[in-house]
Amino acid sequence: MVEIADHPPARPAAVTSLWGELFRKEDWWAIWIGLGLVAVAVSLFASGGSLKWIAVAPQKWSHAADVALQLRQHAPQYAALFVLWAASFGIGAATLGIKLSRYLPAFLVLYIGTGAIYFLGLWDQSAHYNLEPPLVALGLGLLLSNTVGVPRWLDPALRVEFYIKTGIVLLGAGLPLTLIAWAGPVAIVQAAIVSLTTFGVIYVSAVRLGLDRRLAATLGTGGAVCGVSGAIAVGGAVGAKKEHVSIAISLVVVWAVVMIFVLPLAARSLGLSTGVAGAWIGTSEFADAAGIAAAQTYGGYAGNVPGISGGADAAVTAFTLMKVIGRDMWIGVWAFVLSLIATTRWENTGVQGRTGVGEIWRRFPKFVLGFLLASAVIAVLSRGYSYAEYKKDVIPGLVAPLQALRTWAFTFAFLSIGLTTRLREFVAVGARPFYAFTIGVVVNVAVGFVLSTRVFGEFWNRLGQ
Amino acid sequence: MNSCTDCRHFAQAPADVEAAFPGLWSLSSAYASVRADDGICTVHDRYVAASSVCAQYADAGRASTCTRQS
Repeated sequence: MVEIADHPPARPAAVTSLWGELFRKEDWWAIWIGLGLVAVAVSLFASGGSLKWIAVAPQKWSHAADVALQLRQHAPQYAALFVLWAASFGIGAATLGIKLSRYLPAFLVLYIGTGAIYFLGLWDQSAHYNLEPPLVALGLGLLLSNTVGVPRWLDPALRVEFYIKTGIVLLGAGLPLTLIAWAGPVAIVQAAIVSLTTFGVIYVSAVRLGLDRRLAATLGTGGAVCGVSGAIAVGGAVGAKKEHVSIAISLVVVWAVVMIFVLPLAARSLGLSTGVAGAWIGTSEFADAAGIAAAQTYGGYAGNVPGISGGADAAVTAFTLMKVIGRDMWIGVWAFVLSLIATTRWENTGVQGRTGVGEIWRRFPKFVLGFLLASAVIAVLSRGYSYAEYKKDVIPGLVAPLQALRTWAFTFAFLSIGLTTRLREFVAVGARPFYAFTIGVVVNVAVGFVLSTRVFGEFWNRLGQ
Repeated sequence: MNSCTDCRHFAQAPADVEAAFPGLWSLSSAYASVRADDGICTVHDRYVAASSVCAQYADAGRASTCTRQS
Protein backbone atom coordinates (compact mmCIF):
# COMPACT_ATOMS: atom_id res chain seq x y z
CA MET A 1 0.00 0.00 0.00
CA VAL A 2 1.36 3.44 -0.87
CA GLU A 3 1.84 5.67 2.17
CA ILE A 4 0.97 9.05 0.80
CA ALA A 5 1.03 10.52 4.30
CA ASP A 6 4.81 10.71 4.27
CA HIS A 7 5.07 12.58 0.98
CA PRO A 8 3.64 15.75 -0.46
CA PRO A 9 1.06 15.22 -3.21
CA ALA A 10 2.83 13.98 -6.32
CA ARG A 11 0.36 15.65 -8.64
CA PRO A 12 -1.29 19.04 -8.48
CA ALA A 13 -4.88 19.15 -7.30
CA ALA A 14 -7.36 19.01 -10.16
CA VAL A 15 -9.19 22.18 -10.96
CA THR A 16 -12.90 21.91 -10.32
CA SER A 17 -15.06 23.27 -13.10
CA LEU A 18 -18.24 22.22 -14.81
CA TRP A 19 -16.55 21.81 -18.18
CA GLY A 20 -13.54 20.09 -16.70
CA GLU A 21 -15.80 17.58 -14.98
CA LEU A 22 -17.20 16.50 -18.37
CA PHE A 23 -13.79 15.12 -19.35
CA ARG A 24 -12.05 14.17 -16.11
CA LYS A 25 -14.65 11.82 -14.64
CA GLU A 26 -15.19 8.36 -16.05
CA ASP A 27 -18.97 8.65 -15.56
CA TRP A 28 -18.99 11.26 -18.31
CA TRP A 29 -16.68 9.21 -20.52
CA ALA A 30 -19.04 6.26 -20.14
CA ILE A 31 -21.79 8.56 -21.39
CA TRP A 32 -19.75 9.87 -24.33
CA ILE A 33 -18.75 6.35 -25.40
CA GLY A 34 -22.13 4.71 -24.75
CA LEU A 35 -24.25 7.45 -26.30
CA GLY A 36 -21.73 7.87 -29.12
CA LEU A 37 -22.21 4.22 -30.06
CA VAL A 38 -25.99 4.62 -29.79
CA ALA A 39 -25.83 7.71 -32.04
CA VAL A 40 -23.74 5.88 -34.67
CA ALA A 41 -26.09 2.88 -34.52
CA VAL A 42 -29.16 5.09 -34.96
CA SER A 43 -27.56 7.01 -37.86
CA LEU A 44 -26.62 3.81 -39.66
CA PHE A 45 -30.07 2.32 -39.04
CA ALA A 46 -31.83 5.45 -40.31
CA SER A 47 -29.80 5.28 -43.53
CA GLY A 48 -30.63 1.61 -44.09
CA GLY A 49 -27.44 0.19 -42.55
CA SER A 50 -26.56 -1.36 -39.20
CA LEU A 51 -23.78 -1.50 -36.63
CA LYS A 52 -23.98 -5.28 -36.59
CA TRP A 53 -20.92 -5.87 -38.79
CA ILE A 54 -18.58 -4.47 -36.17
CA ALA A 55 -20.67 -5.59 -33.16
CA VAL A 56 -19.47 -9.13 -33.75
CA ALA A 57 -20.18 -11.79 -31.13
CA PRO A 58 -19.39 -15.52 -30.91
CA GLN A 59 -22.12 -17.95 -31.94
CA LYS A 60 -23.04 -21.32 -30.40
CA TRP A 61 -20.41 -24.01 -31.09
CA SER A 62 -19.83 -27.69 -30.36
CA HIS A 63 -16.23 -28.44 -31.38
CA ALA A 64 -12.97 -26.52 -31.35
CA ALA A 65 -13.03 -26.58 -35.16
CA ASP A 66 -16.23 -24.48 -35.05
CA VAL A 67 -14.41 -21.82 -33.04
CA ALA A 68 -11.50 -21.79 -35.48
CA LEU A 69 -13.95 -21.42 -38.37
CA GLN A 70 -15.79 -18.54 -36.70
CA LEU A 71 -12.51 -16.76 -35.98
CA ARG A 72 -11.32 -17.20 -39.58
CA GLN A 73 -14.59 -16.01 -41.06
CA HIS A 74 -14.92 -12.98 -38.78
CA ALA A 75 -11.27 -12.05 -38.22
CA PRO A 76 -11.61 -8.58 -39.81
CA GLN A 77 -14.65 -7.87 -37.63
CA TYR A 78 -12.87 -8.91 -34.42
CA ALA A 79 -9.91 -6.74 -35.40
CA ALA A 80 -12.19 -3.78 -36.17
CA LEU A 81 -14.02 -4.26 -32.89
CA PHE A 82 -10.71 -4.18 -31.02
CA VAL A 83 -9.82 -0.91 -32.75
CA LEU A 84 -13.24 0.54 -31.87
CA TRP A 85 -12.97 -0.36 -28.18
CA ALA A 86 -9.27 0.52 -27.93
CA ALA A 87 -9.89 3.94 -29.49
CA SER A 88 -12.98 4.66 -27.38
CA PHE A 89 -11.66 3.53 -24.01
CA GLY A 90 -8.11 4.59 -24.86
CA ILE A 91 -9.08 8.21 -25.52
CA GLY A 92 -11.16 8.23 -22.35
CA ALA A 93 -8.37 6.68 -20.28
CA ALA A 94 -5.77 9.06 -21.73
CA THR A 95 -7.92 12.06 -20.84
CA LEU A 96 -8.30 10.71 -17.32
CA GLY A 97 -4.51 10.64 -17.04
CA ILE A 98 -3.67 7.05 -17.92
CA LYS A 99 -0.86 6.86 -20.46
CA LEU A 100 -2.14 5.57 -23.80
CA SER A 101 1.12 3.75 -24.44
CA ARG A 102 0.54 1.75 -21.24
CA TYR A 103 -3.20 1.34 -21.71
CA LEU A 104 -3.28 -0.14 -25.23
CA PRO A 105 -1.02 -3.20 -24.78
CA ALA A 106 -2.80 -4.05 -21.54
CA PHE A 107 -6.20 -3.63 -23.18
CA LEU A 108 -5.19 -5.98 -26.01
CA VAL A 109 -4.61 -8.74 -23.43
CA LEU A 110 -7.93 -7.94 -21.74
CA TYR A 111 -9.72 -8.04 -25.12
CA ILE A 112 -8.25 -11.44 -26.00
CA GLY A 113 -9.08 -12.84 -22.55
CA THR A 114 -12.61 -11.47 -22.75
CA GLY A 115 -13.08 -12.93 -26.23
CA ALA A 116 -11.96 -16.36 -24.99
CA ILE A 117 -14.45 -16.22 -22.10
CA TYR A 118 -17.22 -14.99 -24.42
CA PHE A 119 -16.56 -17.98 -26.72
CA LEU A 120 -16.50 -20.40 -23.78
CA GLY A 121 -19.95 -19.17 -22.69
CA LEU A 122 -21.32 -20.09 -26.13
CA TRP A 123 -20.09 -23.70 -25.97
CA ASP A 124 -23.16 -25.95 -26.17
CA GLN A 125 -21.98 -27.76 -23.00
CA SER A 126 -21.25 -24.60 -20.98
CA ALA A 127 -24.58 -24.69 -19.09
CA HIS A 128 -24.00 -28.35 -18.26
CA TYR A 129 -20.67 -27.48 -16.62
CA ASN A 130 -21.92 -24.17 -15.11
CA LEU A 131 -19.46 -22.21 -17.24
CA GLU A 132 -21.42 -18.95 -17.13
CA PRO A 133 -19.14 -16.21 -18.57
CA PRO A 134 -19.41 -13.84 -15.57
CA LEU A 135 -18.44 -16.59 -13.13
CA VAL A 136 -15.67 -17.92 -15.37
CA ALA A 137 -14.25 -14.41 -15.84
CA LEU A 138 -14.40 -13.69 -12.15
CA GLY A 139 -13.11 -17.08 -11.03
CA LEU A 140 -10.24 -17.08 -13.50
CA GLY A 141 -9.28 -13.52 -12.58
CA LEU A 142 -9.41 -14.26 -8.84
CA LEU A 143 -7.34 -17.39 -9.29
CA LEU A 144 -4.65 -15.60 -11.30
CA SER A 145 -4.46 -12.49 -9.15
CA ASN A 146 -4.31 -14.41 -5.87
CA THR A 147 -1.88 -17.16 -6.89
CA VAL A 148 0.66 -16.40 -9.61
CA GLY A 149 -0.18 -12.70 -9.58
CA VAL A 150 -1.01 -10.25 -12.34
CA PRO A 151 1.83 -8.34 -14.01
CA ARG A 152 1.66 -4.64 -13.13
CA TRP A 153 1.77 -3.61 -16.78
CA LEU A 154 -1.77 -4.99 -17.13
CA ASP A 155 -3.15 -2.65 -14.45
CA PRO A 156 -3.87 0.38 -16.69
CA ALA A 157 -6.56 -1.54 -18.61
CA LEU A 158 -8.29 -3.04 -15.57
CA ARG A 159 -10.91 -0.31 -15.18
CA VAL A 160 -13.94 -2.19 -13.82
CA GLU A 161 -16.16 0.84 -13.33
CA PHE A 162 -15.35 2.41 -16.68
CA TYR A 163 -16.50 -0.73 -18.51
CA ILE A 164 -19.53 -1.44 -16.33
CA LYS A 165 -20.83 2.13 -16.61
CA THR A 166 -20.40 2.10 -20.39
CA GLY A 167 -22.27 -1.22 -20.47
CA ILE A 168 -25.10 0.23 -18.37
CA VAL A 169 -25.46 3.19 -20.74
CA LEU A 170 -25.69 0.71 -23.63
CA LEU A 171 -28.17 -1.34 -21.59
CA GLY A 172 -30.45 1.70 -21.58
CA ALA A 173 -30.82 1.35 -25.36
CA GLY A 174 -32.44 -2.06 -24.84
CA LEU A 175 -34.87 -0.95 -22.14
CA PRO A 176 -38.06 0.81 -23.19
CA LEU A 177 -38.52 4.15 -21.43
CA THR A 178 -42.08 3.08 -20.57
CA LEU A 179 -40.69 0.07 -18.68
CA ILE A 180 -38.36 2.30 -16.68
CA ALA A 181 -41.26 4.65 -15.89
CA TRP A 182 -43.51 1.71 -14.94
CA ALA A 183 -41.04 -0.24 -12.79
CA GLY A 184 -38.87 2.63 -11.53
CA PRO A 185 -41.20 3.78 -8.71
CA VAL A 186 -41.58 0.21 -7.39
CA ALA A 187 -37.80 -0.21 -7.48
CA ILE A 188 -37.35 3.06 -5.59
CA VAL A 189 -39.84 2.06 -2.88
CA GLN A 190 -38.35 -1.42 -2.42
CA ALA A 191 -34.78 -0.13 -2.49
CA ALA A 192 -35.59 2.65 -0.02
CA ILE A 193 -37.00 0.14 2.49
CA VAL A 194 -33.95 -2.11 2.19
CA SER A 195 -31.42 0.74 2.17
CA LEU A 196 -32.83 2.47 5.25
CA THR A 197 -33.17 -0.82 7.14
CA THR A 198 -29.68 -2.04 6.25
CA PHE A 199 -28.03 1.30 7.00
CA GLY A 200 -29.82 1.49 10.34
CA VAL A 201 -28.80 -2.03 11.33
CA ILE A 202 -25.12 -1.56 10.39
CA TYR A 203 -24.89 1.91 11.93
CA VAL A 204 -26.55 0.95 15.24
CA SER A 205 -24.58 -2.32 15.45
CA ALA A 206 -21.30 -0.50 14.82
CA VAL A 207 -21.98 2.22 17.38
CA ARG A 208 -23.14 -0.36 19.96
CA LEU A 209 -19.88 -2.23 19.34
CA GLY A 210 -18.03 0.96 20.21
CA LEU A 211 -16.93 1.98 16.72
CA ASP A 212 -16.45 5.57 15.59
CA ARG A 213 -19.65 7.14 14.17
CA ARG A 214 -17.92 8.14 10.93
CA LEU A 215 -16.77 4.56 10.42
CA ALA A 216 -20.30 3.36 11.24
CA ALA A 217 -21.75 5.68 8.58
CA THR A 218 -19.15 4.66 6.00
CA LEU A 219 -19.81 0.97 6.62
CA GLY A 220 -23.57 1.59 6.57
CA THR A 221 -23.67 3.28 3.18
CA GLY A 222 -21.22 0.73 1.78
CA GLY A 223 -23.67 -2.02 2.72
CA ALA A 224 -26.92 -0.20 2.08
CA VAL A 225 -26.49 2.07 -0.92
CA CYS A 226 -23.82 1.43 -3.50
CA GLY A 227 -20.94 -0.59 -2.13
CA VAL A 228 -17.42 0.78 -2.45
CA SER A 229 -18.73 3.88 -4.23
CA GLY A 230 -21.10 4.53 -1.33
CA ALA A 231 -18.29 4.04 1.17
CA ILE A 232 -15.92 6.51 -0.51
CA ALA A 233 -18.68 9.06 -1.14
CA VAL A 234 -19.82 9.11 2.49
CA GLY A 235 -16.31 8.54 3.88
CA GLY A 236 -15.25 11.78 2.18
CA ALA A 237 -18.42 13.66 3.03
CA VAL A 238 -18.15 12.95 6.76
CA GLY A 239 -14.33 13.14 6.92
CA ALA A 240 -13.68 9.54 8.02
CA LYS A 241 -10.24 8.35 9.08
CA LYS A 242 -8.24 7.02 6.16
CA GLU A 243 -7.87 3.57 7.74
CA HIS A 244 -11.64 3.43 8.32
CA VAL A 245 -12.35 3.96 4.62
CA SER A 246 -9.91 1.13 3.86
CA ILE A 247 -11.75 -1.14 6.31
CA ALA A 248 -15.11 -0.38 4.67
CA ILE A 249 -13.69 -1.00 1.18
CA SER A 250 -12.19 -4.36 2.19
CA LEU A 251 -15.43 -5.56 3.80
CA VAL A 252 -17.60 -4.46 0.87
CA VAL A 253 -15.35 -6.06 -1.77
CA VAL A 254 -15.05 -9.38 0.04
CA TRP A 255 -18.79 -9.65 0.71
CA ALA A 256 -19.69 -8.46 -2.80
CA VAL A 257 -17.48 -11.13 -4.39
CA VAL A 258 -18.94 -13.81 -2.09
CA MET A 259 -22.47 -12.70 -3.07
CA ILE A 260 -21.70 -12.99 -6.80
CA PHE A 261 -21.52 -16.74 -6.27
CA VAL A 262 -24.03 -17.15 -3.41
CA LEU A 263 -27.04 -15.17 -4.65
CA PRO A 264 -27.46 -16.91 -8.05
CA LEU A 265 -26.97 -20.31 -6.41
CA ALA A 266 -29.51 -19.54 -3.68
CA ALA A 267 -32.04 -18.16 -6.18
CA ARG A 268 -31.51 -21.20 -8.40
CA SER A 269 -32.07 -23.64 -5.54
CA LEU A 270 -35.30 -21.79 -4.72
CA GLY A 271 -36.42 -21.82 -8.37
CA LEU A 272 -36.97 -18.06 -8.53
CA SER A 273 -37.97 -16.51 -11.85
CA THR A 274 -35.36 -14.32 -13.55
CA GLY A 275 -37.27 -11.09 -12.77
CA VAL A 276 -37.62 -11.91 -9.05
CA ALA A 277 -34.01 -13.07 -8.76
CA GLY A 278 -32.79 -9.90 -10.49
CA ALA A 279 -34.76 -7.76 -8.04
CA TRP A 280 -33.35 -9.70 -5.08
CA ILE A 281 -29.80 -9.36 -6.39
CA GLY A 282 -30.48 -5.65 -6.98
CA THR A 283 -31.43 -5.12 -3.35
CA SER A 284 -28.82 -7.42 -1.83
CA GLU A 285 -25.61 -7.00 -3.90
CA PHE A 286 -23.35 -4.13 -2.97
CA ALA A 287 -21.75 -2.96 -6.19
CA ASP A 288 -23.00 -2.50 -9.76
CA ALA A 289 -20.32 -4.64 -11.38
CA ALA A 290 -20.73 -7.47 -8.85
CA GLY A 291 -24.50 -7.36 -9.14
CA ILE A 292 -24.53 -7.40 -12.92
CA ALA A 293 -22.18 -10.40 -12.83
CA ALA A 294 -24.61 -12.21 -10.52
CA ALA A 295 -27.72 -11.14 -12.48
CA GLN A 296 -26.25 -12.03 -15.89
CA THR A 297 -25.23 -15.42 -14.49
CA TYR A 298 -28.80 -16.01 -13.37
CA GLY A 299 -30.21 -14.82 -16.70
CA GLY A 300 -28.05 -17.49 -18.31
CA TYR A 301 -30.03 -20.15 -16.41
CA ALA A 302 -33.25 -19.22 -18.22
CA GLY A 303 -33.98 -21.91 -20.77
CA ASN A 304 -31.02 -23.99 -19.59
CA VAL A 305 -32.01 -24.92 -16.03
CA PRO A 306 -35.39 -26.62 -15.49
CA GLY A 307 -37.78 -24.62 -13.32
CA ILE A 308 -36.25 -21.17 -13.97
CA SER A 309 -38.92 -19.10 -15.71
CA GLY A 310 -38.68 -15.66 -17.34
CA GLY A 311 -36.57 -14.14 -20.07
CA ALA A 312 -32.76 -14.19 -19.98
CA ASP A 313 -32.53 -10.39 -19.96
CA ALA A 314 -35.08 -9.97 -17.15
CA ALA A 315 -32.56 -10.61 -14.38
CA VAL A 316 -30.21 -7.84 -15.56
CA THR A 317 -33.19 -5.54 -16.26
CA ALA A 318 -34.68 -5.99 -12.78
CA PHE A 319 -31.24 -5.70 -11.19
CA THR A 320 -30.48 -2.46 -13.03
CA LEU A 321 -33.81 -0.87 -12.17
CA MET A 322 -33.41 -1.80 -8.51
CA LYS A 323 -29.73 -0.92 -8.14
CA VAL A 324 -29.24 2.03 -10.47
CA ILE A 325 -32.63 3.72 -10.19
CA GLY A 326 -33.51 2.53 -6.68
CA ARG A 327 -30.16 2.87 -4.91
CA ASP A 328 -27.26 4.45 -6.83
CA MET A 329 -29.11 7.64 -7.77
CA TRP A 330 -29.58 8.59 -4.12
CA ILE A 331 -25.96 8.50 -2.95
CA GLY A 332 -25.71 12.30 -3.15
CA VAL A 333 -28.66 12.66 -0.78
CA TRP A 334 -27.10 10.19 1.68
CA ALA A 335 -23.77 12.04 1.52
CA PHE A 336 -25.42 15.44 2.03
CA VAL A 337 -27.53 14.35 5.01
CA LEU A 338 -24.71 12.47 6.72
CA SER A 339 -22.20 15.29 6.18
CA LEU A 340 -24.71 17.70 7.72
CA ILE A 341 -25.09 15.42 10.76
CA ALA A 342 -21.32 14.92 11.01
CA THR A 343 -20.69 18.67 10.94
CA THR A 344 -23.38 19.61 13.43
CA ARG A 345 -23.72 16.61 15.76
CA TRP A 346 -20.57 14.52 15.86
CA GLU A 347 -17.28 15.25 17.57
CA ASN A 348 -14.86 17.73 16.00
CA THR A 349 -12.00 16.12 14.09
CA GLY A 350 -9.98 19.24 13.41
CA VAL A 351 -11.22 19.34 9.82
CA GLN A 352 -14.39 21.34 9.27
CA GLY A 353 -16.68 20.16 6.48
CA ARG A 354 -18.61 22.81 4.54
CA THR A 355 -21.57 20.98 3.19
CA GLY A 356 -24.39 22.24 0.97
CA VAL A 357 -27.16 20.91 -1.23
CA GLY A 358 -24.73 21.11 -4.17
CA GLU A 359 -23.27 17.92 -2.69
CA ILE A 360 -26.25 16.00 -4.10
CA TRP A 361 -25.37 16.89 -7.70
CA ARG A 362 -21.60 16.74 -7.23
CA ARG A 363 -21.81 13.10 -6.12
CA PHE A 364 -24.65 12.10 -8.44
CA PRO A 365 -23.53 9.08 -10.51
CA LYS A 366 -23.76 10.85 -13.86
CA PHE A 367 -23.69 7.68 -15.96
CA VAL A 368 -27.34 7.18 -14.91
CA LEU A 369 -28.17 10.13 -17.17
CA GLY A 370 -26.61 8.29 -20.11
CA PHE A 371 -28.63 5.17 -19.27
CA LEU A 372 -31.88 7.18 -19.31
CA LEU A 373 -30.92 9.15 -22.42
CA ALA A 374 -30.06 5.99 -24.37
CA SER A 375 -33.50 4.59 -23.52
CA ALA A 376 -35.16 7.86 -24.56
CA VAL A 377 -33.33 7.95 -27.91
CA ILE A 378 -34.51 4.45 -28.83
CA ALA A 379 -38.03 5.26 -27.58
CA VAL A 380 -38.25 8.31 -29.86
CA LEU A 381 -36.89 6.39 -32.84
CA SER A 382 -39.28 3.48 -32.29
CA ARG A 383 -42.44 5.60 -32.21
CA GLY A 384 -43.07 5.23 -35.91
CA TYR A 385 -42.93 1.43 -35.82
CA SER A 386 -45.64 -1.09 -35.02
CA TYR A 387 -44.74 -3.82 -32.52
CA ALA A 388 -44.32 -6.35 -35.36
CA GLU A 389 -42.03 -3.98 -37.27
CA TYR A 390 -40.09 -3.25 -34.09
CA LYS A 391 -39.42 -6.96 -33.57
CA LYS A 392 -38.64 -7.59 -37.23
CA ASP A 393 -36.51 -4.53 -38.05
CA VAL A 394 -35.52 -2.43 -35.04
CA ILE A 395 -34.36 -5.22 -32.73
CA PRO A 396 -32.04 -7.07 -35.15
CA GLY A 397 -30.85 -3.94 -36.97
CA LEU A 398 -30.41 -1.55 -34.05
CA VAL A 399 -30.94 -2.98 -30.57
CA ALA A 400 -29.20 -6.37 -30.93
CA PRO A 401 -25.82 -4.92 -32.05
CA LEU A 402 -25.87 -2.55 -29.09
CA GLN A 403 -26.67 -5.50 -26.82
CA ALA A 404 -23.66 -7.38 -28.22
CA LEU A 405 -21.44 -4.38 -27.47
CA ARG A 406 -22.94 -4.22 -23.98
CA THR A 407 -22.00 -7.87 -23.38
CA TRP A 408 -18.40 -7.13 -24.40
CA ALA A 409 -18.25 -4.14 -22.03
CA PHE A 410 -19.69 -6.13 -19.15
CA THR A 411 -17.29 -9.02 -19.72
CA PHE A 412 -14.30 -6.62 -19.74
CA ALA A 413 -15.55 -5.58 -16.30
CA PHE A 414 -16.09 -9.11 -14.96
CA LEU A 415 -12.58 -10.19 -15.89
CA SER A 416 -11.18 -6.96 -14.45
CA ILE A 417 -12.94 -7.55 -11.09
CA GLY A 418 -11.17 -10.86 -10.65
CA LEU A 419 -7.80 -9.51 -11.77
CA THR A 420 -7.98 -6.50 -9.41
CA THR A 421 -9.30 -8.30 -6.31
CA ARG A 422 -5.97 -9.04 -4.64
CA LEU A 423 -6.85 -10.19 -1.17
CA ARG A 424 -3.33 -9.92 0.24
CA GLU A 425 -3.40 -6.16 -0.42
CA PHE A 426 -6.49 -5.60 1.70
CA VAL A 427 -6.16 -4.16 5.18
CA ALA A 428 -7.00 -6.20 8.27
CA VAL A 429 -10.52 -5.14 9.22
CA GLY A 430 -10.79 -6.25 12.85
CA ALA A 431 -13.60 -8.21 14.48
CA ARG A 432 -16.00 -5.41 15.39
CA PRO A 433 -16.34 -3.84 11.90
CA PHE A 434 -16.70 -7.36 10.50
CA TYR A 435 -19.53 -8.21 12.92
CA ALA A 436 -21.36 -4.92 12.34
CA PHE A 437 -21.17 -5.24 8.56
CA THR A 438 -22.04 -8.93 8.54
CA ILE A 439 -25.16 -8.38 10.65
CA GLY A 440 -26.20 -5.83 8.01
CA VAL A 441 -25.50 -8.29 5.19
CA VAL A 442 -27.76 -10.91 6.81
CA VAL A 443 -30.60 -8.44 7.34
CA ASN A 444 -30.14 -6.99 3.84
CA VAL A 445 -30.37 -10.41 2.18
CA ALA A 446 -33.39 -11.45 4.27
CA VAL A 447 -35.38 -8.23 3.83
CA GLY A 448 -34.48 -8.09 0.12
CA PHE A 449 -35.68 -11.67 -0.31
CA VAL A 450 -39.03 -11.05 1.40
CA LEU A 451 -39.69 -7.87 -0.57
CA SER A 452 -38.63 -9.38 -3.92
CA THR A 453 -40.51 -12.68 -3.56
CA ARG A 454 -43.50 -11.86 -1.34
CA VAL A 455 -44.36 -8.16 -1.21
CA PHE A 456 -43.47 -7.25 -4.82
CA GLY A 457 -43.02 -10.80 -6.17
CA GLU A 458 -45.94 -10.65 -8.60
CA PHE A 459 -44.64 -7.37 -10.04
CA TRP A 460 -41.11 -8.66 -10.67
CA ASN A 461 -42.51 -11.88 -12.10
CA ARG A 462 -44.55 -9.92 -14.64
CA LEU A 463 -41.50 -7.87 -15.60
CA GLY A 464 -39.71 -11.10 -16.46
CA GLN A 465 -42.37 -12.41 -18.80
CA MET B 1 -10.55 30.60 4.82
CA ASN B 2 -8.82 28.49 2.17
CA SER B 3 -10.11 25.00 1.56
CA CYS B 4 -8.24 21.71 1.32
CA THR B 5 -8.24 21.97 -2.50
CA ASP B 6 -5.22 24.29 -2.45
CA CYS B 7 -3.47 22.78 0.57
CA ARG B 8 -0.13 21.07 0.17
CA HIS B 9 -1.20 18.35 2.60
CA PHE B 10 -4.16 17.33 0.47
CA ALA B 11 -3.69 14.41 -1.96
CA GLN B 12 -6.62 14.17 -4.32
CA ALA B 13 -5.17 12.90 -7.62
CA PRO B 14 -7.16 9.75 -8.56
CA ALA B 15 -4.00 7.64 -8.87
CA ASP B 16 -2.93 8.67 -5.36
CA VAL B 17 -6.37 7.91 -3.93
CA GLU B 18 -6.46 4.46 -5.56
CA ALA B 19 -2.94 3.72 -4.32
CA ALA B 20 -3.96 4.69 -0.80
CA PHE B 21 -7.07 2.49 -0.74
CA PRO B 22 -6.36 -1.08 -1.89
CA GLY B 23 -9.49 -2.66 -3.35
CA LEU B 24 -11.05 0.66 -4.35
CA TRP B 25 -10.58 0.00 -8.06
CA SER B 26 -11.95 -3.57 -7.81
CA LEU B 27 -15.56 -2.45 -7.54
CA SER B 28 -15.39 1.33 -7.82
CA SER B 29 -13.00 3.99 -8.98
CA ALA B 30 -11.26 7.16 -7.89
CA TYR B 31 -12.32 8.63 -11.26
CA ALA B 32 -16.03 8.23 -10.40
CA SER B 33 -18.41 11.14 -9.99
CA VAL B 34 -19.45 9.93 -6.52
CA ARG B 35 -15.94 10.69 -5.22
CA ALA B 36 -16.33 14.32 -6.25
CA ASP B 37 -12.95 15.90 -5.40
CA ASP B 38 -12.36 14.23 -2.04
CA GLY B 39 -8.82 13.46 -1.05
CA ILE B 40 -6.52 12.48 1.78
CA CYS B 41 -5.45 15.00 4.39
CA THR B 42 -1.95 13.91 5.33
CA VAL B 43 -1.98 16.05 8.46
CA HIS B 44 -5.10 14.56 10.03
CA ASP B 45 -4.82 11.22 8.20
CA ARG B 46 -8.43 11.55 7.11
CA TYR B 47 -10.31 11.25 3.86
CA VAL B 48 -12.06 14.60 3.46
CA ALA B 49 -14.05 16.69 1.01
CA ALA B 50 -12.04 19.22 -0.99
CA SER B 51 -14.20 22.03 0.36
CA SER B 52 -13.20 21.30 3.97
CA VAL B 53 -11.11 23.73 6.01
CA CYS B 54 -8.73 23.43 8.96
CA ALA B 55 -6.27 25.46 10.98
CA GLN B 56 -3.25 23.62 9.57
CA TYR B 57 -3.81 24.82 5.99
CA ALA B 58 -0.60 25.39 4.06
CA ASP B 59 -0.71 26.77 0.57
CA ALA B 60 0.47 24.25 -2.00
CA GLY B 61 2.96 26.79 -3.29
CA ARG B 62 4.62 27.40 0.09
CA ALA B 63 6.64 25.31 2.48
CA SER B 64 4.70 23.73 5.31
CA THR B 65 4.86 25.34 8.73
CA CYS B 66 2.53 22.99 10.58
CA THR B 67 3.30 19.81 12.41
CA ARG B 68 1.59 16.56 11.75
CA GLN B 69 -0.98 15.46 14.33
CA SER B 70 -1.16 11.90 15.57
